[in-house]
Amino acid sequence: MAGKIRQMIDTIINQRAKDNAMLVGVIKTKLMLKGIDPNKFTAQSPDDPAVIAKLEAVIKDLK
Amino acid sequence: MGIKTAFSSKTELQDVVSDIQSQFGDFEANLVVFFASSTFGPEAVASQMGAAFPQAETFGCSTAGEIVSGRMLTNSVVAMAFDRQSVKTAKAVVLEDLSSDSYDAFSSFEQCFNKPMAEMDPKQYVGIVLIDGLSGKEEQIIDRIGDLTNVNFIGGSAGDDLKFAATHVYANGKSYSNAAVLAMIEPVGEFAFVKTQSFCPLAKKLVVTKANESAREVLEFNNKPAAAAYAEAIGTTVADAPNHFMHNPVGLVFEGEPFVRSPQQIKGDSMFFYCSVLEGMELSLLESTDIIADTKKAVETARQELGGISGMINFNCILRTLELNQKGLSSAYGELFSVAPTIGFSTYGEQFIGHVNQTATILLFH
Repeated sequence: MAGKIRQMIDTIINQRAKDNAMLVGVIKTKLMLKGIDPNKFTAQSPDDPAVIAKLEAVIKDLK
Repeated sequence: MGIKTAFSSKTELQDVVSDIQSQFGDFEANLVVFFASSTFGPEAVASQMGAAFPQAETFGCSTAGEIVSGRMLTNSVVAMAFDRQSVKTAKAVVLEDLSSDSYDAFSSFEQCFNKPMAEMDPKQYVGIVLIDGLSGKEEQIIDRIGDLTNVNFIGGSAGDDLKFAATHVYANGKSYSNAAVLAMIEPVGEFAFVKTQSFCPLAKKLVVTKANESAREVLEFNNKPAAAAYAEAIGTTVADAPNHFMHNPVGLVFEGEPFVRSPQQIKGDSMFFYCSVLEGMELSLLESTDIIADTKKAVETARQELGGISGMINFNCILRTLELNQKGLSSAYGELFSVAPTIGFSTYGEQFIGHVNQTATILLFH
């Protein structure tokens, strides 16, 4: 399977930034500093369980 | 009036506080931010500055050198006062136990501003964070703040004039160690941020393949012992590698912007950093550029975008200060901040979105 990581990243960005361009940059930087490069993953990226677990933890923290 | 700065390099604390008080005169401050050399006792400086401005929210920290409009100082206290024409509301809270969740501190902000932190507008509010510079907890704090709010927090890690014995943060008359001060400010006008570091990324990449993240230790880069891989990247021996730390740190580069991680020491095969590095991170080897030219450009760009500056708070890395001192450029650096009322200090770490090294993070008020 592929694309789940991109989908999770987009969900995080959309939920936090709500189309605010300045916030999109900040949220992407926060993800980068948490060890997830948001520009590295596309809809074709394989569903790496380690990255998915990291993103699930980020989603939990952001609540 | 808006924003006013004062400083004193007198030796007795009582004289310093009176000096600053008299420079502020009848200015009706509702917020006073101050940075004090570690030559002044922490409890005394906190209580005397708090008592000198009882009508204002006061907070600050100990330093490794101070900055005031146009000058870099040592053994001094610098202060910035805001009145109601520049700051509508300000609230400082202390995170006394750095292992506890920042959410506890945030509940005070929510009560003060009558709004959930998650809903506070980052264009309307700005946060300042000052953290015990020897705690090693900066990433944890700034990361958690970023989880809880979209309001941007900027700040620095307290210093102690390179003694590395104890650093302190101050709030409303009290001194704290192993603590952080979080301040939420609602300025009247616009504000902006500068994050400037004088490095350009080189093509050489160091991927963290093994790390002890909580200890800020990298055991392996590119599946090789970290010290050997770093030395190889800069083309030298492991023994000589520490001589390159200042000019060749590493950085997490995102969309062209480096987030600097400065090496602290080599121990065995490992490298220790002043900032945490996570397994899997791809770091670029960096090369130093011109601090004066880069900072001047960054401040000028921000000034133009903001349409003028009425005040700046500069959190400037101690490693930048040391480099400026070595090169005889301290006066030139201080001069860059003569364009507007400025205070700042030489930090043991800088914060903006994340925790960084060898950087100046600057808050600018219109």
